[in-house]
Amino acid sequence: MKYYVSVNGREHTVDITEVAGVPVVELDGERAEVSYHEVDRLGQVAMVVDGKTFAVSIEGGADAVDVSVAGRSYHVELEDDRERAAHAAERAGGAKTGVVKSVMPGIVVRILVAEGDTVEEGQPLLILEAMKMQNEIAAPANATVRSIHVTENSAVSGGEKLVTLE
Amino acid sequence: MFERILIANRGEIALRVIRTAREMGIECVAVYSDVDRSALHTRMADVAVPLHGTLPSETYLDIDAILDAARATRAEAIHPGYGFLAENAEFARRVEAAEIAWIGPPPAAIEAMGDKITSRRIMKEAGVPVVPGLTDPVLDVPAALAASEEIGYPIALKAAAGGGGKGIRIVPEPDAMESAFRTAAGEAQSAFGDGRLYVERYLERPRHIEVQVMFDNHGNSVHLFERECSIQRRHQKLIEECPSPIVDDELRERMGEVALRAGRAVDYRGAGTVEFLWSKGEFFFLEMNTRLQVEHPVTEMVTGRDLVRDQLRVAAGEPLGYAQEDVTMSGSAIEVRINAEDPALGFLPSTGTIKNLRWPGGPWVRIDSGLFRGLVVGLAYDPMLAKVIVWGVDRATAIARMVRALEELHVGGVRTGAPAALAVLEDTRFREGDFDTQLLESMDLTAPRPDDEAVAAIAAAFHRQHLARRRALAGSHGDRRPWLDRARRSLTAYPTPDRGQREGGA
Repeated sequence: MKYYVSVNGREHTVDITEVAGVPVVELDGERAEVSYHEVDRLGQVAMVVDGKTFAVSIEGGADAVDVSVAGRSYHVELEDDRERAAHAAERAGGAKTGVVKSVMPGIVVRILVAEGDTVEEGQPLLILEAMKMQNEIAAPANATVRSIHVTENSAVSGGEKLVTLE
Repeated sequence: MFERILIANRGEIALRVIRTAREMGIECVAVYSDVDRSALHTRMADVAVPLHGTLPSETYLDIDAILDAARATRAEAIHPGYGFLAENAEFARRVEAAEIAWIGPPPAAIEAMGDKITSRRIMKEAGVPVVPGLTDPVLDVPAALAASEEIGYPIALKAAAGGGGKGIRIVPEPDAMESAFRTAAGEAQSAFGDGRLYVERYLERPRHIEVQVMFDNHGNSVHLFERECSIQRRHQKLIEECPSPIVDDELRERMGEVALRAGRAVDYRGAGTVEFLWSKGEFFFLEMNTRLQVEHPVTEMVTGRDLVRDQLRVAAGEPLGYAQEDVTMSGSAIEVRINAEDPALGFLPSTGTIKNLRWPGGPWVRIDSGLFRGLVVGLAYDPMLAKVIVWGVDRATAIARMVRALEELHVGGVRTGAPAALAVLEDTRFREGDFDTQLLESMDLTAPRPDDEAVAAIAAAFHRQHLARRRALAGSHGDRRPWLDRARRSLTAYPTPDRGQREGGA
């Protein structure tokens, strides 16, 4: 199976096929000798890549994971051929606008925009307080505020819709 | 010495105090909120008293509930840790009024140092250098110029109502005053509705250096050298070390002397920290923290003194038992705070359940932590989860050891600031000791790191493939049910005739 892998925003391809039960790996078209062994069901993995050994930790689901190698964290997003085509179509539809979601649970302290406002990229939309810190949630692109899904002083969970831009 | 003390705190600091108390043969009473019923401090104490509720205000900040717990368990003293009620003078007074020993400074000292204006005035009178500036706002440009002449350039014009960097102007020389005054006043007026400005000396490339002090009830006092805490963002420290790479013996002695003078001015007792801003060889009083600090372990590592033990001994009325010349320094120590936050997203808080935990080990690596697998990291409490502290014969050895320890560490389930600490530890400016309080904020922590990127890519692909395979093997819920039921039946140990015979025969 071929995967399109983005590691901290940099693109790679990883192709894993199995020959007589032994995985054969190609990274960006080059063969790599890989052994992948799950130490536990919690995400710790013992890996050997081309003779070098790595204690790796992985967390996440099928399409996005956090991989830790030697204390450094890599955010990895994966797509197969089918997903890649679907995502490409989505991206062509309208870049970066849409729903702004909360990246963490918190309390909406202030809403700084109103429906119908035009906002510039980087302009703060609202202030979310979490862990005693106030964080500005900024517009990802130039857009118009179509709707606001939260009210001031309301609690939101991670991934909840905050504002829809178009 | 006390036979039983209560620790009015949670997390790693509660555990820190419990550990020393246990070594001294003192029993510990923990208090815990609903969500902390399985916390480490609750489990490691001798007695644990529930404080019903989850919010800090109904638990660790509830003075009445904590005093009730102390009375009910006949605790002889209360240790407040840091945060929560540690710098609450009213709490200290109530503890003493209840005839329970307060493991902390006198309430009056907490109050005096708790107020920025009062503490500045007391420090000035005691001959402790404070950042040169006026305590009253200046009204116009001539007044600002006159004041600046006395204070010395460069000058910082600051909004009286200020905060967040708004309304601040740096004035390098008198000629620049007029326009700077006008824009700063305008900005302050529009941002805060108050255009009044203060003038203060502008400190170039400041470093945050603090001095640990310890006072007993018998007139003895010592300082335990400095801690370098300049690696911070939004005033949250990330890395602390002792000694500071820019403090030499002469400066160390001078800062220690001034720190002791600051403590004496408020009749201090117990452990405290005097924070200074250092700039171009000069240092100025910032504030005094009237408690044990988060970063106290680096001082313990280089001096070999257990600061919590000294706190307990002083609170029990014992003399310090050692003098300034007995306090010696050996090697170099570094601490990294492991916070639940995402450095790639501007240190936004990160929440989750700790699923996977791998601690570093080996020589001269110390872990102060309340972490355990299954801990739910929420928003109710401080995001600091753990501290990794290392010691080395010199600074370079300590840095290499910390890098090694952080590479071994893995905290899974939340994101932590550890990768940011690694980036700092590997930065040339940090390694050479040439940095200021802006270093961390000036670093681009979202820049991709190419090392091990290929390994991460391959690991993620295998992970996905294993997930898919597991899902395929697990089948749908409908397929699984009869199989699971069969398994359950075969493993249930109620006595059926044939099972009974088999077990009887074995």
